[in-house]
Amino acid sequence: MLRITLTSVAVLLALAFAIGPLADAQQAQPQPAPTWKQGQPANMADSTLAPIAQPPAPKAAGEIPVDKIKVPAGFKVSLWAHGINNAREMVWGDKGTLFVSSRVAGNVYAVVDNGGSREVKVIAKGLNLPNGVAFRNGTLYIAEVSRITKMVGIEDKLDNPPAMEVVYDILPRDLPHGWKHLAFGPDGKLYFNIGAPCNICLPPDTHANLSRVNPDGTGFEYVAHGVRNSVGFDWHPVTKRLYFTTHARDWMGEDSPSDRFDVVTRKGQHFGYPFCHAGDMLDPEFGKGKSCNDYVKPLIKTGPHVAGNGVEFYTGAMFPAEYQNRAFLAQRGSWNRSKKIGFRVMMVTIDAKGGVAKYEPFAEGWLQGEEIWGRPVYTRQMKDGSLLIADDYAGAIYRVSYSR
Amino acid sequence: MTTGAPAGAADLEAGLRKAEPCKACHGADGNATIPGTPSLAGQPVYFTHWQLIKFRDGRRKDPQMSPFATNLSDTDMADLAAFYAAQRPQARPAVTEPAKVEAGRQLATLHHCVSCHRPGLTGHEQVPRLAGQDLAYLVKLLRGFKAQTAGDLDGTMTTAAQPLSEADIENLAHYMATLPPVPSPSR
Repeated sequence: MLRITLTSVAVLLALAFAIGPLADAQQAQPQPAPTWKQGQPANMADSTLAPIAQPPAPKAAGEIPVDKIKVPAGFKVSLWAHGINNAREMVWGDKGTLFVSSRVAGNVYAVVDNGGSREVKVIAKGLNLPNGVAFRNGTLYIAEVSRITKMVGIEDKLDNPPAMEVVYDILPRDLPHGWKHLAFGPDGKLYFNIGAPCNICLPPDTHANLSRVNPDGTGFEYVAHGVRNSVGFDWHPVTKRLYFTTHARDWMGEDSPSDRFDVVTRKGQHFGYPFCHAGDMLDPEFGKGKSCNDYVKPLIKTGPHVAGNGVEFYTGAMFPAEYQNRAFLAQRGSWNRSKKIGFRVMMVTIDAKGGVAKYEPFAEGWLQGEEIWGRPVYTRQMKDGSLLIADDYAGAIYRVSYSR
Repeated sequence: MTTGAPAGAADLEAGLRKAEPCKACHGADGNATIPGTPSLAGQPVYFTHWQLIKFRDGRRKDPQMSPFATNLSDTDMADLAAFYAAQRPQARPAVTEPAKVEAGRQLATLHHCVSCHRPGLTGHEQVPRLAGQDLAYLVKLLRGFKAQTAGDLDGTMTTAAQPLSEADIENLAHYMATLPPVPSPSR
């Protein structure tokens, strides 16, 4: 039997080659859909759900209804800066400059606080989805899709920025989920994500992870696996453990799978993608023969399609005492759901044992009914303990302050 | 008080005035006649605005176009994009070959073009109308995306163009050029 089968295969192969050149055979193959459309079930082929288009220009101050942002009693929200196209990650320089990244706008900005007003300067442009910014010892580090670069002494040269020197440039070049969060860990290493190059697929071993490298470009290693796309993480101020958000796959329903908030307790842990989603839901295609018990469960199921981006533990002196060590999670909001969800900043209270005591809204109002006017995407504490929130849709930064 | 670059409401009349230097290549009403030059009439506002940003910032390069974009402000771009979106697109004269058009039609399905460019390839928000666009321009852009030199917003087109052969590119362009230039339903 085996012999016959092999012979049959050989005959079929010979026939295939005789019929036409291989190029023709390849041409007739359906190609992968655009990332956002991958994994869409046949019965949803006519769905009108699609990612929300990024406006090409930031909103003018008068078009930004800050008063619609609701925060707990005693807190106040103001418009801190605007006119920052596609404003994303924020990091402070040593001398008080706020560096702000963007994604599709391709820019990195410096915001100089002149007391009553803020001045926005473009310090780099035309970059490849430069979402990640980190700062240490006078040097700004920038993560694009396939490389990390640095600008030495940038704060003294904002109007004549120094050249971008390569730190590490052998990262995958895939553009889908190729943009990165970049941050210094407590160990002094630069941490970033390498996202899955798809909505749902069996990614190469080099993708769907959290990684780190020394600031001189040596010592690359993987920190966590099975992470579809995390563009936000931070370290707990006391335990120094790494906490991160992840965007879950799309087209598996209005209410599933949930996005997640996780903690890494050991280097090399696997968080389930693409086999198991949200810790309890096997993927219809890639989950076959797998068990969710083989992967780390989420600390919090943060909600379906909420698109959790920024993570930041609060350590400032301005907010009430119970805010110490709480995590702020900026949720950019859904597209793959007929009723929108997210578009808010949540907060997480972690108890003494590392469990979750509370997961509750901190700031919301960018979503009014089914209309959105902004998308909160990252936070950054100010020196005085107030909290900045970047909105990549309105191109603005808000400041949340507290007074009793 | 904050400072920055406020985006005022787009101004059609200002757009008409600012489009004066563009006319020589793109036509008085955004319908170009020079082969290899795109028609901008009826293109979505977001699309034209983003392209101008890309030319200004050097993410998309063209010896003729790049110098024009260098000194445009955000307001200029918004006005120009609004002006062109309001113009009525016309078909470009093109000599298309039926066999290539048919092959291109099949390729457009296999490569999921309508997912982003919408049925009829009319475009949508940041995604351009391809229907009735200039044949030579379509070929040039698809080659550029494959070579990763066309300047992509988020990588979708660069990724999509990688499997295309030179013949695929030609067939797709022939197909798109024959479609009626219906303006994008989104402005």
